[in-house]
Amino acid sequence: MEDQIVRITSRLVTPFIQVYGIYVILHGHLSPGGGFSGGAIFGASLVLVALSFNLEAGVKQISHQTASILESGGALGYLLTGMAAIIIGGNYLANRSAGFPLGQAGELFSGGAILIITVFVGIKVASTIVTLFYNIIEGEE
Amino acid sequence: MEILSSIARNYYYMVAIILFVIGTFIMLTHANMIKKVIAMNIMDASVFLLFVAIGYAYGGEAPIIREGSDVVYVNPLPGALILTGIVVAVSVTAYALSLIVKIYRYYGTCDYDEICEIRSQE
Amino acid sequence: MGFADHYPALIVVVLFAAAFLSPLIYRWAEKAAAPVVIAALMLALFMSSSLMITVQQSGPVFYHMGGWPPPWGIEFKVDPMRAFILLIMIGVSLWIFIYAVRDLEHELKKEVIGWYYTLYALLVGSMAGIALTNDLFNLFVLMEICAISACAIISIKEDRECLEASFKYLILSAMGTGCFLLGVAMLYMATGYLNYGLLQLELAETLTLYPRNIFAAAALFIAAFGTKAALFPLHVWLPDAHASAPSPSSAMLSGLVIKIYAFALFLIFYQVFPRELLDLIPLNEIILWLASLGVMFGSVYAMLQTDLKKMLAYSSIGQIGYIFMGIGFDHNLALVGGFYHIMVHAVTKALLFMTAGTIIYATGVRQIKDLAGIGRALPLTMLAFTIGSASMIGIPGTGGLISKWYLALSALEIGRPFFVLIILASSLLNAIYYMPIVISAFMHQEDFQFETKPVPRFMLTTMVVGMVFIVLSGFFSRPVVSMLEQAANYFF
Repeated sequence: MEDQIVRITSRLVTPFIQVYGIYVILHGHLSPGGGFSGGAIFGASLVLVALSFNLEAGVKQISHQTASILESGGALGYLLTGMAAIIIGGNYLANRSAGFPLGQAGELFSGGAILIITVFVGIKVASTIVTLFYNIIEGEE
Repeated sequence: MEILSSIARNYYYMVAIILFVIGTFIMLTHANMIKKVIAMNIMDASVFLLFVAIGYAYGGEAPIIREGSDVVYVNPLPGALILTGIVVAVSVTAYALSLIVKIYRYYGTCDYDEICEIRSQE
Repeated sequence: MGFADHYPALIVVVLFAAAFLSPLIYRWAEKAAAPVVIAALMLALFMSSSLMITVQQSGPVFYHMGGWPPPWGIEFKVDPMRAFILLIMIGVSLWIFIYAVRDLEHELKKEVIGWYYTLYALLVGSMAGIALTNDLFNLFVLMEICAISACAIISIKEDRECLEASFKYLILSAMGTGCFLLGVAMLYMATGYLNYGLLQLELAETLTLYPRNIFAAAALFIAAFGTKAALFPLHVWLPDAHASAPSPSSAMLSGLVIKIYAFALFLIFYQVFPRELLDLIPLNEIILWLASLGVMFGSVYAMLQTDLKKMLAYSSIGQIGYIFMGIGFDHNLALVGGFYHIMVHAVTKALLFMTAGTIIYATGVRQIKDLAGIGRALPLTMLAFTIGSASMIGIPGTGGLISKWYLALSALEIGRPFFVLIILASSLLNAIYYMPIVISAFMHQEDFQFETKPVPRFMLTTMVVGMVFIVLSGFFSRPVVSMLEQAANYFF
């Protein structure tokens, strides 16, 4: 779609969508949302760029290689956080019994491993949405 | 009268079961493949509705701790289970839809009965 | 660091890590992707054998994820039966993967082979998790990972038939999952727990308070696991799916995936539902009769097929009926027979599908009538097919006899000799469609019509290993059977 109004609007709106997505991811332990929904919002903003401009502009924002690395990296980060809990001392994916710093309930940096896991899940979901979109669009050629 | 009052009390459970049966019936009998995927979503959504309805406590409020000694909270565990369930349902839907795109490219139709006809003549 | 305590979780973690690493490694260093997955499978095999030794010596092991005890956390449990199934799953997966490394280059497009390794490792990891988990919702998540990976390793071939077969499998599997989730909701509504151990304690009292919830949950579980494990009337997805998939996928699906669902049904019916439920509704009778019908009809359908892989797929429906008969008899010798059959049939059916794959690789032949005289062109392959068929029929000297022996013995012990007749009749029906292939392969007058490519050594080695295992399991069955008897007595 190469409409002028759509392009200008999406160019204006995309940073706000991305900031909102990052906000939902980071406040996963304080308010409703978390990794899945925040990652979906962030991924939707990247798909919006690819839809309102053409596909090359979208690929310039986040290329196939970057999406693939982020996808695998997010999942591996989740698994490695659990392994870190084993190395520190508790069971797999332990939070308080392994000694992650917990902090005050209600602050941003509280909850120990929950924040780290939420960020990794958000990265993975966003890159998965982008990869799915690329596969479906490019598969038609 | 007791039937009406018990229906009014268990309203959510009945709607969930009716939606589940509708979803299963459409998924098995209608021929269009996209309708089958939509029916699968209806079926999963009905079970999530049942889970949330189970967790409700009469007169309870949102499960975020606030000051007060004997506050009744709604059970938060079904909500966490459903979040996982929704993600699982979305992944299965995404995979099913991409399969439908590929099948349409090979067979030229979205109708499952026609695909069976084509397959049985090969 | 005491790593050995964490083995239950680490098995699943190592396999999932290999699954997520393999697309990255395949993008940059193609030759290193397969060894990474093989290393992960060998590490998982080492950990599961060490778990088996531990539970044999000191009893069941419980592992709490995140340090939270149930009912707040997810629990993994290892006892002798689960460790046995875990060893079978990972061992047979490693064996099939070594075959797959050579065979995939011929069947799939080059850029998707890295993704096939990912799906394979996800499938093995989720099956290991299903064998280990002690929590109903964790079972749901792992079942979904298993279902999507199983459908995806069929449709990755992107053929006309395999796409439609994979869609059919996905829709029926999704229906099974919806029924399973509704059953979990019924049990959660009645008791408030999701852990197997806590549910077992609660359900004994809840059965008198809320009987209809538990009946509905039992019926929904039979429908869900019956669809996924191809119990008789719900088997309709299996022939297309297993016949049109690439050969390592067929071996994996027919050999392992349908059995892990039968094992999950066994765990739920013996470890979650109370024994008094069987007095109210005869659940084991239902499973027993459906399984007997499956055993007979699977063989009848297989006799009518002309395509080799479809015949093997229909034969799988018959053989999974034996495993459900073992669960349905409600006797400890039947459990021994059923579980021994899980092990023997996993190896045998995987070997038969590997043989079919080798025949397709070397000659391109799929129809049974074109197989005349192939025994002189591919002798080792057809010897493997012969020994596999002998085990399917139940000829003494192979593992197939031991499992049928114990099933027939338990049928006599509970006083129902009719099922001995069914086991004998189905063995005869198995012979009717396996023996003609073997006979016409070796003793046909003319030579084989099509030209043959040489078979790689990897594939031949794996088939030899399979043959040796089948013969060994027929002669030296005493250790495994005594371990299974000891584990089965725990449930009665």
